[in-house]
Amino acid sequence: MSQAPAVTLNNVSLRYEEGPDVLTGLNLTLQQGAFHFLTGPSGAGKTSLLKLLYLDQRPTNGVVHLFGTNVTAAARGELPAIRRKVGVVFQEFRLLDHLSTFDNVALPLRVAGLSEPEIKSNVTELLSWVGLEDYMDASPPILSGGQKQRVAIARAVVNRPRLILADEPTGNVDDQIALRLMQLFIELNKLGSTIVIATHSEQLVQRFGFPRLTLANGNLTELPPLSPHPDAKGPVVERTAP
Amino acid sequence: MMSLRTDLPLGGDSASKFIPWLVAIMVFLGILSVSGMTVFDSILSGWSRSVTGTVTVQIPALPASTEEDANEARTARALDALTVLPNVESARALTDEEIDALLAPWLGEGAAAGNLPLPDLIDVSLSDDSADAIENVKAAVAAVVPDAIIDDHRRWFEHLIDLTEGFRTLTIGVATVVTLALALTIIYATRASLTEFKEVISVLHFIGAKDMYVASQFAKRTLVAATKGCAGGLTAGLIALIIIGVLASNVESGFLPDINLGIAFWLTSPLVALMAAGLAMVTAYLTVLSTLRSMI
Repeated sequence: MSQAPAVTLNNVSLRYEEGPDVLTGLNLTLQQGAFHFLTGPSGAGKTSLLKLLYLDQRPTNGVVHLFGTNVTAAARGELPAIRRKVGVVFQEFRLLDHLSTFDNVALPLRVAGLSEPEIKSNVTELLSWVGLEDYMDASPPILSGGQKQRVAIARAVVNRPRLILADEPTGNVDDQIALRLMQLFIELNKLGSTIVIATHSEQLVQRFGFPRLTLANGNLTELPPLSPHPDAKGPVVERTAP
Repeated sequence: MMSLRTDLPLGGDSASKFIPWLVAIMVFLGILSVSGMTVFDSILSGWSRSVTGTVTVQIPALPASTEEDANEARTARALDALTVLPNVESARALTDEEIDALLAPWLGEGAAAGNLPLPDLIDVSLSDDSADAIENVKAAVAAVVPDAIIDDHRRWFEHLIDLTEGFRTLTIGVATVVTLALALTIIYATRASLTEFKEVISVLHFIGAKDMYVASQFAKRTLVAATKGCAGGLTAGLIALIIIGVLASNVESGFLPDINLGIAFWLTSPLVALMAAGLAMVTAYLTVLSTLRSMI
């Protein structure tokens, strides 16, 4: 039996209250295991599209499916189970300042009900991977922007979600850390996670050469990789908005 | 054992600071209400025990010019008439000392009432205090001492019952208002906290937290805060009762019957505190669930 696509958008539009459409008639299918950059100018709707995918917004029109479930019509009680399959790296990090770095990263595992020994093992390993093993007890306000970003990424991926949505995940880190973080996303992608990274960085897009989803004027277009990459999967965007 | 760890910055917010005080005041008032109910029940019960099955016969004093032993003769006739009645268990004339003791709260200790034209009193115990039986007593006494007054205490006691029932209803009303006020204030405080921590709750939702997960954290916070308040309110309430007890013991015994709160009350008081903490916790839990339903 074939797996349901990770993401399916059918004629999806979004507008906030009485404003104009931010997204217009989007059609998109992302197969599981796909890796895409989401690009476009500021204000094109990248963050709004991500909000639809991490269930912060419901579309004004159209239907969103995640892993084969119509989340547009899903009951409130069904959403937590779907959200646990989605890891989100917010542009503004949205770390909980009253918790330590360790506890921030541990949150998804605690919410999922893992035991404390399992949580300690997973979180410690991941914080070492992102280079924050010496900051486990530090609270976010004393971390630098780049360190916060790494905590946010660690929190998003710690429970190995099936879909990872990252909004400018390398915007605040130096090249070396950016490469390391991208390597983390690539490793998770190899393990089966679908990755969507919203970015303004042409350099990042060019360097890693994954397919691009470009938003402009509320419309979504699939563009080929700027350069082929051995880790990029085949064409997964089946339809694009006209 | 329930973990008190929380992902929300609960404890330092304004609600966490005032909930203990609020609950302490509510528990204090609750304990006073329950003790009030217990006292009124105790008073009613004491009075009821003391007057049920008894009547008092008053033999009015004759004018001073009458023969000296005429009053004694009238009392003796009444006693004779009473003792032959089948429903009379005993009939006894009160001594002058006993009458002086009854008047002591009003006239003071040692104030002899011998010079006052006081009626003779006969304390009658009945095996049957039905209305018919009391009518028989009245008829028998009236036949030998026509101006004798028979007091079966019913009218006096009915007024007391009305009064104590009124106080009892009032204390139940106070307890109900206190309970409602506690619930409403917890609802308000919880909603304020939800607004204060909207961003944190939003993040918890995005990582897959169920409403129950968030609600249980608020419930635990409220339980901890309410338990502190309960301890304070319970302590203050019991101290207040001890002080009231000491003050009441200084009142002349003739005015008040012996009031004993009883073991049931002392066991009920901690229960009132526990119920207040439980009510606060459940209210917070349900408030969070109901408020979060309006979010995506």
